[in-house]
Amino acid sequence: MKRIGVDVGGTFTDVMYWDEEGAIAVHKVPSTPHDPSLATVDGVRQLADQVGITLGELDQFLHGTTVATNIVLEHNGSDVGLITTEGFRDILHIARKKRPFNYSSYQDLPWQKWQLVRRRNRRVVPERVDAAGTVLVPLDEDAVREQVRVLRDNGVQAIAVCFLHSYRNPAHEQAVRRIIEQEYPGVFISLSSDVAPQYREYERFSTTALNAFVGPKVSGYLHNLSGTTREAGVRGDVALMTSAGGLITTRGAIANPVLLLTSGVVAGLLGGCAIGKASGQPSVITLDVGGTSADIGVAPDGKLRMKHLLDTRIGDYHAMVPMAEVDTIGAGGGSIAFIDEGGMFRVGPRSAGANPGPACYARGGTEPTSTDAMVAMGWLRADSFLSGAMSIQSELAVKAIDEHLAAKLGTTVEHAAIGVFQILAHAMTEAISLHSVRKGYDPRDFYLVAEGGAGPLFAWHIAEQLGIPGVIVPHHPGIASAMGLLATDIRAEIPATVWTSSADPDTDRIAAEFDRLTAQAVEYLGADGLAPEDIVIERSLDCRYIGQGYELRVPAPDGEIDTDWVARAAEAFHTVHERTYLQRFDDKPVHLVNVRVTAIGKVGHVPLAEIDTGGTDASEAVKASTEAVFWTRDNQSQVFATTVYDRALLKAGNELAGPAIIEQFDSTTIIGPGQHATIDKVGHIIIETATTREGDQR
Amino acid sequence: MTALDPAGVSLAGTAPENFASVEVDPITLRVIGGALNSIAKEMAQILYRMAYSSLIRESEDLGAGIFDVHGRELCESDSTPMHCGSIPAYIRGINRKLAGTYQPGDVILHNHPYHGAAHSPDYGIMIPIFFGGEHVGFAGCTGHVSDIGGNFPGLCMDVVDVWAEGKLLDSVKIYDAGVRNGALIQHILDNVRTPEQNAGDLEALIACARLGERRFTALLERYGLDVVLSAADKWMDYSEEMLRRRIREIPDGSYEAPVSFLDDDGKNRDVPLKVAVTVKVTDGDIVVDLTDSHEQVPTAFNVPFEGSVLPTVASAVRTLLLDEALTEEFVPQNDGCFRPAKAYAPEGTLFNPDFPASCFARFSQINRIFDSMNLALADVLPDRAVAGSSAALCAIAYSGLAADGQSYWVYIEINEGSYGARNGKDGMDCVDALMANTRNNPIEELELNHSMIAERYELRDEPPAPGQYRGGIGSVRQWRMLTDTFIGSEADNRSDPPRGLAGGHDGVAGSFTRNVATDREELLHSKVTQEKCAAGDTLEIKLPSGGGYGDPRERDQDAVLEDVLDDYVSIADARRHYGVVIDPSTLTVDEPATAKLRGR
Repeated sequence: MKRIGVDVGGTFTDVMYWDEEGAIAVHKVPSTPHDPSLATVDGVRQLADQVGITLGELDQFLHGTTVATNIVLEHNGSDVGLITTEGFRDILHIARKKRPFNYSSYQDLPWQKWQLVRRRNRRVVPERVDAAGTVLVPLDEDAVREQVRVLRDNGVQAIAVCFLHSYRNPAHEQAVRRIIEQEYPGVFISLSSDVAPQYREYERFSTTALNAFVGPKVSGYLHNLSGTTREAGVRGDVALMTSAGGLITTRGAIANPVLLLTSGVVAGLLGGCAIGKASGQPSVITLDVGGTSADIGVAPDGKLRMKHLLDTRIGDYHAMVPMAEVDTIGAGGGSIAFIDEGGMFRVGPRSAGANPGPACYARGGTEPTSTDAMVAMGWLRADSFLSGAMSIQSELAVKAIDEHLAAKLGTTVEHAAIGVFQILAHAMTEAISLHSVRKGYDPRDFYLVAEGGAGPLFAWHIAEQLGIPGVIVPHHPGIASAMGLLATDIRAEIPATVWTSSADPDTDRIAAEFDRLTAQAVEYLGADGLAPEDIVIERSLDCRYIGQGYELRVPAPDGEIDTDWVARAAEAFHTVHERTYLQRFDDKPVHLVNVRVTAIGKVGHVPLAEIDTGGTDASEAVKASTEAVFWTRDNQSQVFATTVYDRALLKAGNELAGPAIIEQFDSTTIIGPGQHATIDKVGHIIIETATTREGDQR
Repeated sequence: MTALDPAGVSLAGTAPENFASVEVDPITLRVIGGALNSIAKEMAQILYRMAYSSLIRESEDLGAGIFDVHGRELCESDSTPMHCGSIPAYIRGINRKLAGTYQPGDVILHNHPYHGAAHSPDYGIMIPIFFGGEHVGFAGCTGHVSDIGGNFPGLCMDVVDVWAEGKLLDSVKIYDAGVRNGALIQHILDNVRTPEQNAGDLEALIACARLGERRFTALLERYGLDVVLSAADKWMDYSEEMLRRRIREIPDGSYEAPVSFLDDDGKNRDVPLKVAVTVKVTDGDIVVDLTDSHEQVPTAFNVPFEGSVLPTVASAVRTLLLDEALTEEFVPQNDGCFRPAKAYAPEGTLFNPDFPASCFARFSQINRIFDSMNLALADVLPDRAVAGSSAALCAIAYSGLAADGQSYWVYIEINEGSYGARNGKDGMDCVDALMANTRNNPIEELELNHSMIAERYELRDEPPAPGQYRGGIGSVRQWRMLTDTFIGSEADNRSDPPRGLAGGHDGVAGSFTRNVATDREELLHSKVTQEKCAAGDTLEIKLPSGGGYGDPRERDQDAVLEDVLDDYVSIADARRHYGVVIDPSTLTVDEPATAKLRGR
C-alpha cells in the first residue's frame, strides 16, 4: 500500500511517503495560510515526482490540519445561531462562572469577549426533558419554526441545537433538525446529542457551538481539498487526524469538525509511538520543540492516554470531546530570556517568533533567545545552520546575552547561556514529570523521542534529568507529525451516559448502550468502506466513586455484562484511581457515568526500512572538530572538545561518544559529555544517558 | 482576643532558625521556584479531582501549599483567593498547642475560627514534614466540607455562638506518629449530617497533604535544606519587592472608601451594618483600617480576623497592584506577598469579634472590604480600580431528609456575582467576584442528584448599570423544589447597591423570591435560617449587577446599539441614559439625532 501523509503547520507543510517496502521519503514546502490546500497539493505532487509515482498510485491520503484550530484561536469562525431550552438562554455566556485569573479585575472572560454565539442569536423555545429522559414540556414546533426564521434573517451560517438532558433523550433536538432543514436548507446544523452526548450542559453546549463555529469553514476547506485531490487522480478519500489520535474520513470530519481541534500535536505523539516501535521501545515520551512552544506526550506501551474532562480545551473554550493527553508549554527556540525588574532570571513564554527572530538571525532582534544561547555555547554552528542556507551571526548572539543577561547577573556569557538552556529544559522536565511520574508512570520505563527542529538539542539533557534511559532521534525529527499520520488507525469513538452504581447496577442498560453504540460505530466505519472483520471494538467506562465529581477513564472488562462484570469494572476503576490519586477505596460503590465504544479500523502497517550497516567506527561521518560549552557537576561552564558528525553519513552500528554534535538539514542533535550513542538498524540515533551507568564523571 | 496593634498586623511570619542562609545561583533559584509552584498546583489538583463535597470539587473552595515551621508560606495553589493565605494562620493555630510535639506520620485536623481557621467548615489538614530527623515545615491544605454538625444543615446564620455553628476541632491529631485514630475520626463523622461526603473529603485532604510532603521531601533530598529554604526566602523577598514597588507608586496618604452598609445580621432586620474602610499608604506599606465599622453581631455574621480579614487584604492589594492580566511577570504567591499588606480592626467589632461569637458566615463582609479598598484607591489607581462589584457571596444550602427518613441530603450552591465596569472595559457578567472564584454545578448534575429542577438560569432582565463602560450583569436562577426542602443562606443582596465610578451609575441590587409570579409570591431576606420550602415551591435568586464607569453619554454609540440588539438595553433606555437614538424600524443609530441629543 502506498500512503502519503500531509501535516500542515503554521510555517511549513510536511509531506511524507511510506510504501509497502517500508521506504520513506519526505518533503517540506512553505504553508499557504490563505488556502492551505494549495501547499498540500503542491507538496504531494512534488514528493510523488521525487519518488517516481503518479498520484493515481496512492492508496491513502492522510491529512493533519490546523484549519479548525486556527479558526478557534483567531476567533474568526462563522456566525452561529443557537436554539436552546426556554429559561436557559445564557448558558454559554455564564459558562462555569469561574474567572481564569484569581488576582485580576481587568482580565477578559474569553467566552464573553469572544462569544461563539452572540446573544441576539441565542434563541429559546419551550421544551423540557428531565434527567430520566421524560418529556416535561413538549417541544413547541411553531416556536422553533419562528426562531429558525429569525436566525435565517439574521444571516447565521450555522445553527447549534442544545437542549437540557438531550444526551438522555435526543428526540427534541432531532425534531428541530428536521424543521431547520425545511426552513433554512443548507445551513450547517450541529446537535448537542450528536456532537457530545454526555451530561454537563455547559461543556456539551460549548462543544456543539464550537462545532458550528468552525463547521462551515472546515467543510468548505475539506470539500475543496477532496475535490482537488480527486482531480489530481488520488484514488482513496482523504482521511483526517482527530484530537483523540485516530483517523476519520472527510465525511466524518465535515459533520464533526470539533474532533479535529488538537489533531496537530497528537500526530507528533503518534509519530513518536511509531518511531519507538521501530527501535524496539514501545513506551515513549515525546518532546517536540519548535520555535515558540514544546509539546510533550506520554504513551505507555505506545497507547495514548486521554485528557481529563476539565482539561479538554481548545484555546479559550471547552470542548467535551476525547483528546489525547499532550501538554504544550511556551518554551522553544525563540523563547526570549531576560532579567525581570525584581532581578529574576526568566526565559519565555514570550518568543521572538520568526520575525525578528533570535538576535543571531541579524533581522533586528536584540533580545537573547534560547537559539542564541545555543549558538553562544557552540552547539549551533554559524556555517552549517540549515546547511548554510541561512547565515547566522554568532557575535550578535554573544552580544545579546552579554548585555541583557550576563552583565546584569555579573557572570560570564557562557554561564548565562547555560542558564537559558537549563531554565527552559527545566520547564520541559517539569511538564514531562507532571505527565509521567506524577501520573504513576516511571520514566525509567520509557524512551524519549526527540522531535521538532529543536527537540534533539534538549532531549539528551532532559532524559538525564528524569532518569530516562535513552533518547531516540528519528531520521527526520522535524516531520514526526507526518509520520504519525502514516502510523495511525481509523477510529470512531461514541459515548453515552448510563449513570448507574456498582452497588445496584443497571446491567441491562449498560449492555443495551454498549450494543447500540457498537452497532452505530460499526455502521459508521462500514460506511467508510471498512469490512466488519477489519474493525476492532474497544469498550471503556468513565467512572468515579459515588459522590465524586469527575470521572476517570477505565478499560471495560471483557465478557457478558452481569454483576461479576460490574465487579471487575469496579476493580479496574480502583486501580486507575490509585494510580492517579494514590488512594483506593475498596468499600465505596463505583459510579458508572458514561460508557464509550471505540471502533478501530486497522490499517496495515509496515516496518521502517533498514539502512546500510557500518562498523562501530563512525569516523567517516566526522565533519569537524569544534569546541562547545557544557557544564560540570557543580554547574560551572567548561569547554569540551566536541566532534561534529554529518547525519547523512552515519551507518547502522556506528557508535558515538559525547560530547558530540550531529548536523542535518533542519535539525541538530546533541550528545552530552559522558553519554554514548549508537545508530540502530533503521537509522535512529539512540543516546544512552549517563544516569544509567556507573562512573559518571559529569 | 488580644487587642491588635493599631498600626496593623499582617499574615507574614518570622524566619525560623533551622537552616543556614546560603547563596543560591540564579538558575537553581529559578528551578526551585518552579518546583515549589508545581508542588502547590499538583496538590490542589489531586484535592479537587478526588473530593466529594461539591464545594471542593466544583467550586475549588480549597487551598494547598508548603510552609515552614513558623507557618511562612513557601508556595500556595492558585485555587480560590479566600483560601490563599489562610493556611499560615491555621499553622500558627496548631503550633500554639502542638509546637515541639510533632512526629513523623502525624496528621493534624484543625478548624477553630479563633485560632486561624478561615471559618469552621474549612477543615485544615496539616502534615509536619521531617528531613534528617528534624521538623522542617508543613504540607497543608484546606477545603470546605458540606456540614460540620452545627444547629442547621450546611450553613448557619441565626445561631448563638461558635459552638452552635458546628463541631470545633482544635489541633487534633487524627494520625499520631503514623497511627490512625479511628475512634476520633468516627466521632467526628458521627456528628455531622454528611458523614460519607466528609469521610471522602478527609481522605482527599490527607492525600493532598501527603503528596505535598512527598514532593517537598524529594526537593530537599535533591538540593538540601539550606539551599531550598534559602531559595524560598529569595522568592519571598522577590514577591515582596515586586509588590512594594507598586505600592510606592501610590502617593502616601489616607484614602477613605465611601461608607457602605450590609443588609442586616440575619436576625435584627432593621439594622444595616456599617462598613468603614480606610486605606493608609505609607512608604511601601498598606494598612487597611476597619475602625468605625459595625460592632460584632449576635448571629453567625461575624468575621474571623486572622483567617479571613488578613487573606482578603492581601488578595486585594495583590489584585489592585499586580493584576495578573496587566502584569507580565508571574509573581508567586508566598509570605512575601503578605508582608506589605496589613489590617486593623478594633476588638468586639464585626471584623474582630470576641470569642465565642459565631463567625461562620463571613464572606459577604470580607468581599465588601475588597470592594471598598478598590473604591478608596480609585482616584490614585485610575487604571487598576473598578466600579463597585456585586461584592457579596450568595451561598445557599438546600437540605432535607432523604427518602429513608434518617439521613440528610445537603447541597450547597455558591451563586455568582458580577463585576463593576473597568476604565476602558465593561464589567464582567455572571462571574464570581473579588475573593470568590468558584465553579457552578451543572444543572444536569443537580437534577441527576437532587429533588430539584431548574426552571431558569440566565442573565437578569434588568439593564446593566449605565456608564461609558457599563457594569457587569448578574444572573437569575429559578429552582423548583420537588420535595420539602430547608433553605439556609448567607448572602447580601446589596440593598446598598454597588457604586458607580467617575459618573457611571450605581449597580442593581439582588433578591430572593419564593414562588415568584404567583399569588403566593414572597420576598425573602438575604440571610435566612432553616427556611422551609414545600414541595412545588420555587425560589428565584437574582444576583447583584455591578456599577458603571464614566459618563454614559460618552459611551461609544455602536456599543450602545450592540447592547440593544442583544436585549440588554431598551431603545428607550438607550436614549434616556446614553443619549443614543436608535431607529426602531432599521435598528441602526440615528446619528444626527444622537449628536443633537448628546449636544455635539
